[in-house]
Amino acid sequence: MQRKLLAIIVVVIIVVAAVAAIELTPKTPSTPSADARNIVIGLVAPLSTSIGQDMSDAAQLAAKEINDAGGIYVKDWNTNVNVSIVNVNTIDDAPSNAKTPVVQAVESEHVDMLIGGYGSAGTLANEVVAIDDKVPYIITGASNQLVTRRGPQGNYGGFGVNGANSITDSEGVSYIFHYCTTTYHYSKTVVDFFATVMKPMVAPDRNFSLAILYRNDAFGQGVDQATKYWIQNESLPITLTERNYDPTTAKTSGYQTDLTAVAASHPDAVFIVDNPDQTPLIIKQGWNEVGLKSVYIAVENNQDPTFYNLLGSTGDGQLLESKMDPFMTPSYSQVVQTYVENFNKTYPHVMPGMMGADTYDAFYIAKDAITRAGTVNKTEVRDAIENTNMNQMLIQTKTGKIQFSTGINYHEIDPVTFIEQLKWDSTNSHLTSQIVWSPSGSTNLKQANFTLPTGYQPAQ
Amino acid sequence: MQTKQAITAFLHSKGFQLLLVTFAVLAVLPIFITDSFFLYILTLIFVFAIYAASWNFLANSGQGSLGHALFLGIGGFSSAIVGGRITTALIGAMGVTRMPIGALSVLIQVLVLLVGGLVSAGIGLLIGLACVRLKTWYLAMVTFGFSVIASTLSSQFDSFTNGINGFAPATFVPGGYPFYILVIAFAAASVAAMYLIMKSRMGLAFRAIHGNEAEAKMIGINTAKYKLIAFVISTFFAGIAGGLYAFFTRFIDNSIFSPANSFLPLIMSVIGGLGTVAGPVIGAIFFISIQQIFALPSVVNYLQTSLGSVFPGVNNVGPPISYLIIGVILLLIVIFTPKGLIALFRRFYSYITAKPQPKEIKTK
Amino acid sequence: MDITAPTIILTLVWGVAIGCIYILLATGLNIIFGVMKLVNFAHGQLLMIGAFLTWSISVSLGLNAYAAIVVSMVVVAALGVAVERLTFRRVLGTDKLNEIFVSLGLIYIFENAAMLLWGTGSKQITSPFYGSSLSLPGISITYDRIVAVFVVIAALVAFGLLLKKTKIGLAMQATSQVSSAAMLMGINVEKIYMFTFALGAALAALAGGLYGVIFSFDFQVGAMPTIIAFAIIILGGLGSIKGAIVGGLLYGIAEQLATLFLGGIWGSAVAFALLIVVLIIKPTGLFGQKGE
Repeated sequence: MQRKLLAIIVVVIIVVAAVAAIELTPKTPSTPSADARNIVIGLVAPLSTSIGQDMSDAAQLAAKEINDAGGIYVKDWNTNVNVSIVNVNTIDDAPSNAKTPVVQAVESEHVDMLIGGYGSAGTLANEVVAIDDKVPYIITGASNQLVTRRGPQGNYGGFGVNGANSITDSEGVSYIFHYCTTTYHYSKTVVDFFATVMKPMVAPDRNFSLAILYRNDAFGQGVDQATKYWIQNESLPITLTERNYDPTTAKTSGYQTDLTAVAASHPDAVFIVDNPDQTPLIIKQGWNEVGLKSVYIAVENNQDPTFYNLLGSTGDGQLLESKMDPFMTPSYSQVVQTYVENFNKTYPHVMPGMMGADTYDAFYIAKDAITRAGTVNKTEVRDAIENTNMNQMLIQTKTGKIQFSTGINYHEIDPVTFIEQLKWDSTNSHLTSQIVWSPSGSTNLKQANFTLPTGYQPAQ
Repeated sequence: MQTKQAITAFLHSKGFQLLLVTFAVLAVLPIFITDSFFLYILTLIFVFAIYAASWNFLANSGQGSLGHALFLGIGGFSSAIVGGRITTALIGAMGVTRMPIGALSVLIQVLVLLVGGLVSAGIGLLIGLACVRLKTWYLAMVTFGFSVIASTLSSQFDSFTNGINGFAPATFVPGGYPFYILVIAFAAASVAAMYLIMKSRMGLAFRAIHGNEAEAKMIGINTAKYKLIAFVISTFFAGIAGGLYAFFTRFIDNSIFSPANSFLPLIMSVIGGLGTVAGPVIGAIFFISIQQIFALPSVVNYLQTSLGSVFPGVNNVGPPISYLIIGVILLLIVIFTPKGLIALFRRFYSYITAKPQPKEIKTK
Repeated sequence: MDITAPTIILTLVWGVAIGCIYILLATGLNIIFGVMKLVNFAHGQLLMIGAFLTWSISVSLGLNAYAAIVVSMVVVAALGVAVERLTFRRVLGTDKLNEIFVSLGLIYIFENAAMLLWGTGSKQITSPFYGSSLSLPGISITYDRIVAVFVVIAALVAFGLLLKKTKIGLAMQATSQVSSAAMLMGINVEKIYMFTFALGAALAALAGGLYGVIFSFDFQVGAMPTIIAFAIIILGGLGSIKGAIVGGLLYGIAEQLATLFLGGIWGSAVAFALLIVVLIIKPTGLFGQKGE
């Protein structure tokens, strides 16, 4: 009886030991998993616009670079796989056009991740799909801060749980990442520049008079609210005159009357909030037709070839808020210069813009996150993006690292934004730019002093 | 009495049976095709089928509208706003964080959609009163003008409508199959109701006005009254469609008033066959399907790779070539079947049901 | 903001200047409607193609922008002939709304062909007068705006003479009254249709050239101008040339004054409200004849 028991114990020990030995032997399976497949990224971009085309070009470039360098290693599959892009064409980013293609990408193409999103209105509409289906979405364009702050973690963007755009699903909203500047970032840079640099020059002993002329949509309203917020919050000596227009009407019949009204408020500078296909016309109509010889400032989405080409010589002396400038030679940044060279090798007919640069970086963020996650499981990829700690790429950040605010926070980066002044190069007939101001506390990128444009007429 | 007879006749009619079978098949279709995007598109199609049918109904009474997006938008905004208010009140009273989904929420959804339809019909009544003297293009342009004004008002009173940023209406019926069934039910009911009205005495008056308004007046039809009634009924159903659209896409903003949305029901009605019951439904199915087929990544990529080198200036030629092909298809349809696709189906139907005829007669 | 007299005068000038371009577009649309009884909702896309062609010709050949407009008018007129023969003629006399459907197909084709040929970016035509303007006390107006107004006046006068003094113009008028009677009188109605469409298209191209000098444009620019031009001829009365001129000026001025006093979002709303009020009072427009 005892013998029998002993024998059983011995056998059990041997079996357990054998199983443990097999389990503990380091596995070196030489064959990749049968599940291995390409990683599918949905590129959300309005392909009927030049910015959408730029985003698509940059995305294709990034994917090609990543694949040429061996693709992405996925530990679960024990192999390197390529990235493939599904174009999620939001046409013109009107909310009615922006949602269905994202549903298709998520439900039918089963994308692993979404990257892109340009217009704020369209993105607020289509990110709901990613939130509902829990698909990581790195947003590289839409700057309205509600995009990431509409959930509990963003305190519902300040509108409360019953706010029109509030979403109670905090887990769902945690799949949304903002890899770009928000209206609050760049509006602060703009008003700080006027208060610290331009006010002493033109209005040393009175309030600086700033006019803001914005398109009446989610983008324009976001910038207007943020501008008001910073002037009030920092008690800046700036008097703001606000004026807005209907984008469709004004695109058809021009901006001359709105500018005439702006001129009647005698501003020291004019803040124009529109897209690169319209902003140059607004500045030209203001300067040439209405005779409002002021300082005009545009925001960073205008860092696009369309803006430079259309604005032409009227742009001499005017301002552009930016976070990445591909048009400078020599560039302020070696990384940017390399990007422009590679871009031009692939697309000899086109110049890159800034929106594409965000998108390009986002593909590397995706690669980094999937590699660290070791899987394409969306929750784990989301966690990995949340813990991103890469060196900055085309977009410079305050810490020099790409980090998303984590924990209970919404996911935003902290980019360095700066003010550029445009110069007309009459020998080569094109506009160039120089950085004239960057906020304190970040790398000083300043290249030249700001000077008033030739012909600037002070406000009476 | 007569209405009762009409309803009885309708219930026994071939058209009704066909309708019943069609919608029954559609309701169970997603069980066999489980792709959730397919379901999404199918739902979208039937929301627009209601919208197109409402436009077609108006056209049947001899009136044309180029601003029907106004009613789509009013229905959408009012049902979404009322729905939001009800949710806030209910979850406050019940002490929960979100609306529990159940029989109550489905009931609320239906009521809220009806509210959207009624508000739209109310505005429709006012606009109809102003427009009653107007004809053809003049009426079309005035309705368009009202849609422009509505969009501006919605911007102006943004704190009330939230139309600039847009917003997601509350969820009462979950998306996917449940919402699809809701839409199918509304589509069947709406199409049946409009069919019934057209078959009734009132419908007779509408058609008389459509045929010749002056003659209709001469035989004693109060044309102004009937035109107004048609306007109100049409705007009611357009409002229902708007509500369904807002709750289905879970987003509504001022772009719902866009000219594109005003042209859509016209296109669908013409493509399917003006003045028929099935026309707008067929038109909606065809138009949305063709748009979606040409937006399929595989189709776009194929066009991109095969024709990309022809246009060196644009890197992404897939989408524009897709749309170009849609344009050509639309032209071919209207040139070869000017009476709409339904005429093609009818010809096909009579062809296959026709008795074979002796050869001698045929050659004559 | 203090609204002074010069501000209001300047706003009126903007209204007239914008109205003029719409009048040109509306006149083309109107003559096509008058003669062929069809509404071409792709008319604004001809404006868009006219603008792009002017841009291409002036850039690639280094031609003066205003000379380039003439070349583009000829090309677009030829395109108009092709469009009329291949599409609209085939649906004439079928269901009433089929022409809108044809227009929609054409919009898809024109816009996307333009995107393939000229890309998605916005363009603006550089005029020889770029940056220079006429200074008057209190206000200054660019020469391009002044040229546009005079070109429109000249085009309308020439158009009026063509209708009243030439054989083909008289034939067009006859066709617009009763096409079957015109046919009996020995007028080749099909030829008249073709000529009318070419003329309308050329006027759209002219409007496009002037538009592209003053504004920037992309392949989607045509949609709104079509609707505005259509609103203008409805406001003035379908088929009436005088109506289109008055309607265009009223529309432009109402839109710009509303923008000044009420803000940019009110521009088209007020212009359309004016249209609605006029039509409620006079259901056939300002100069329209009774019974269409």
